[in-house]
Amino acid sequence: MRRTALPARCRLRRRTLLAAAAALATPPALAARTVTLGLTPVFLDSDIVLVRQIEGHISARIGRPVQVVKRRTYREVTSLLVAGQLDAAWICGYPFVQHRDALEILAVPLYRGEPLYRAYLIARQDRSATTLAELRGDLHAFSDPDSNSGFLVTSAMLAELGTAPAAFFARSFFTYGHRNVIRAVAAGLAQSGSVDGYVWDVMADLEPALVGATRVVQASAPMGFPPFATSRQADPGLARAIRGALLTMPETADGRAILATLRLDGFVAGSPGLFDGIAALSRRARAAG
Amino acid sequence: MRALAPRRWPLALRVPLLITLLMIGIAGAISKLVLVRLEATQAAHVEELSGAYLDGLSTALLPAMIRRDPWEAFDALDRSRARYRGVGALRVLVVLPDGTVLAASDPIRHPLGAAAPDEAGPAPLRLAPGAATAWIHRAVSEGGVPVGRIAAEVDVTALATERRATLLALVGVNAALTLLFAILGWLLVRRMLRPVLRLSERLGRAAEGRLEPIPEAELPPADTEVGRAFRRYNAAAAAIAEREALLTRLAEEERRALVGRYASAMAHEVNNPLGGLFNAVRMIQRHGDDPERRLRAASLLERGLTGIHNIVRASLILWRGEADARPVSAADIDDLRLLIESEARRRELILDWQQGMEGSFPAPAQAVRQIALNLLLNACAASPPGGRVAVRTQVVGGVLTLVVADEGPGLPTEARRLLIDGPEAQVPQAGGLGLWTVARLVRELDASVHLAGPPGTHVTIRIPDAEHSAHFPAAA
Repeated sequence: MRRTALPARCRLRRRTLLAAAAALATPPALAARTVTLGLTPVFLDSDIVLVRQIEGHISARIGRPVQVVKRRTYREVTSLLVAGQLDAAWICGYPFVQHRDALEILAVPLYRGEPLYRAYLIARQDRSATTLAELRGDLHAFSDPDSNSGFLVTSAMLAELGTAPAAFFARSFFTYGHRNVIRAVAAGLAQSGSVDGYVWDVMADLEPALVGATRVVQASAPMGFPPFATSRQADPGLARAIRGALLTMPETADGRAILATLRLDGFVAGSPGLFDGIAALSRRARAAG
Repeated sequence: MRALAPRRWPLALRVPLLITLLMIGIAGAISKLVLVRLEATQAAHVEELSGAYLDGLSTALLPAMIRRDPWEAFDALDRSRARYRGVGALRVLVVLPDGTVLAASDPIRHPLGAAAPDEAGPAPLRLAPGAATAWIHRAVSEGGVPVGRIAAEVDVTALATERRATLLALVGVNAALTLLFAILGWLLVRRMLRPVLRLSERLGRAAEGRLEPIPEAELPPADTEVGRAFRRYNAAAAAIAEREALLTRLAEEERRALVGRYASAMAHEVNNPLGGLFNAVRMIQRHGDDPERRLRAASLLERGLTGIHNIVRASLILWRGEADARPVSAADIDDLRLLIESEARRRELILDWQQGMEGSFPAPAQAVRQIALNLLLNACAASPPGGRVAVRTQVVGGVLTLVVADEGPGLPTEARRLLIDGPEAQVPQAGGLGLWTVARLVRELDASVHLAGPPGTHVTIRIPDAEHSAHFPAAA
């Protein structure tokens, strides 16, 4: 503990000094401006602790106050980010490929050692379906229209089958949260759902009773994990500072606490190419109409 | 069956029964009132509770209902579950204006888009007796435009249990009270009726001829109703005993008067042959040696003594006393003739005697003889010299008929009324004891009296077979 705590304190001192120097070099108003970080609901029912931890960690790393801004839909967060209203945001791969020209990847989380995850098609535990085709006529729960795993993957698969969600499912609706998709399917509100595989796996650990009521019908191929991104218009220095804070998260105790909560291993710098698979799905879905 | 009619039931049973019926009626009415009030209170309570619940729910659901967002609606329902646990909502449905389900607390039972069940239709709250659940409703609108309604099935078993417990408590308490009052009523009435029953028992014994006064020690205080009643009973018993004693004394006096009247007649009858008898004695003294004269004198003596003997015997039988309860015989009637003949002769009357009776008849000889003798004495007394006194006796169809007729001026009105109405109608007057005695004996023998005349008096007495007469008391 002593060995890890000491360098952290040293770094803190160094960063504090850097921040102080920056504050001297820039106008006071700009130096004090709060850094905003966009976030969409992940998997926790109440993520206030996680939000405070993230704010604390990044703030300590960049030497500026950080405020996490939460919005209900991906679109709201993406729009704020593209418009420069947010300094950075944890977004889905699908909005990233949609706004690839305007956005820049800061870091991509490592899940089970890779910056990859899968999309799951889930159904109630008592169903025996093993393919999407068997879910025809279902009441289907999607997560978000701008979610890769929660909408795009299933839409693209249906496009391959020559159909579309509206025609294939009796009815579908959005729950705006992967956790909600699992709740909807578990409760029977929806007969099947499209969900983030990473969220489903983690929740199977955290809430086995809830997730145990569902089962994975089909898993997609691995795809780029939802990245932290920033606007290309953003302050490069700030972007670098935030990237640094993310990439060094496993090195600090509070960072490791965050990663432990999120069941992540760390961050890598990532590259746009990581999301080519999602871009291909997007094109396919768009082509189908 | 008439003996089983409620009117004939004892008061000690009728009063507690009435109390029981009354209590059951009152208990039923009170129980009904309490239950109706309880149900109303419960319904108001449920309305109040469900109102607050539905208000909160509709606020949370309104945006989802406006957007017809099934997830948001479900999410709101799901989150409200813990918050409104106290309401006991078993099922909650969010129903769109077209009657389809937008969301339900149990989406498997009520899937999205399915028609809402009939029981979830809008209706006022009704707490059906014995029902475990009830439906509550709330129409939801925005800006006057209906966006749907919320229907919830709430658990009302607690209320039903409370009602049942109340009902059981009411039935138990009322049944216990009814039983208690019935027992108290029974005890009270029995206690209240005890003196009446005692009085009734004593009066019942009076019918058997024993009207015994209640001992002083057993008398309740004089200022109570029962005390007054007992004292009145004692006064009545004393009066009746006095009257009985008077009647007994009168009867005895009458009998003695009859004896007195006959003593002289009998003396005369005995005296008449005495001269002849003395002559016969003298004849024997003087001409005792002459067998013919001696025999004639002895025959005279015998006839004379036989006559005296007959008169003495008849008198003895007549006045032997009240104890002579043997059946009357023809000889008894013939004895009367011996007794009355001297009286008839003295008054120069013609005695027309037709005795049609043979053997004996089951009626007390003493009573029959006394009736006949009294009537004959009256007839002789009423007849003018040279008049005829007729006597007829016969037995036909189990009835002994005795007729005594004279040619006198006829019976006075009081005497007729005495014979017809019985001795109770009049107090015996001095000198009228003979007919009063006849009337008393006629009543005792259960006999009937028929009067005819004037001219003359024609008294017919019909005496029934004593074995069929219940009124004549056994001779002491």
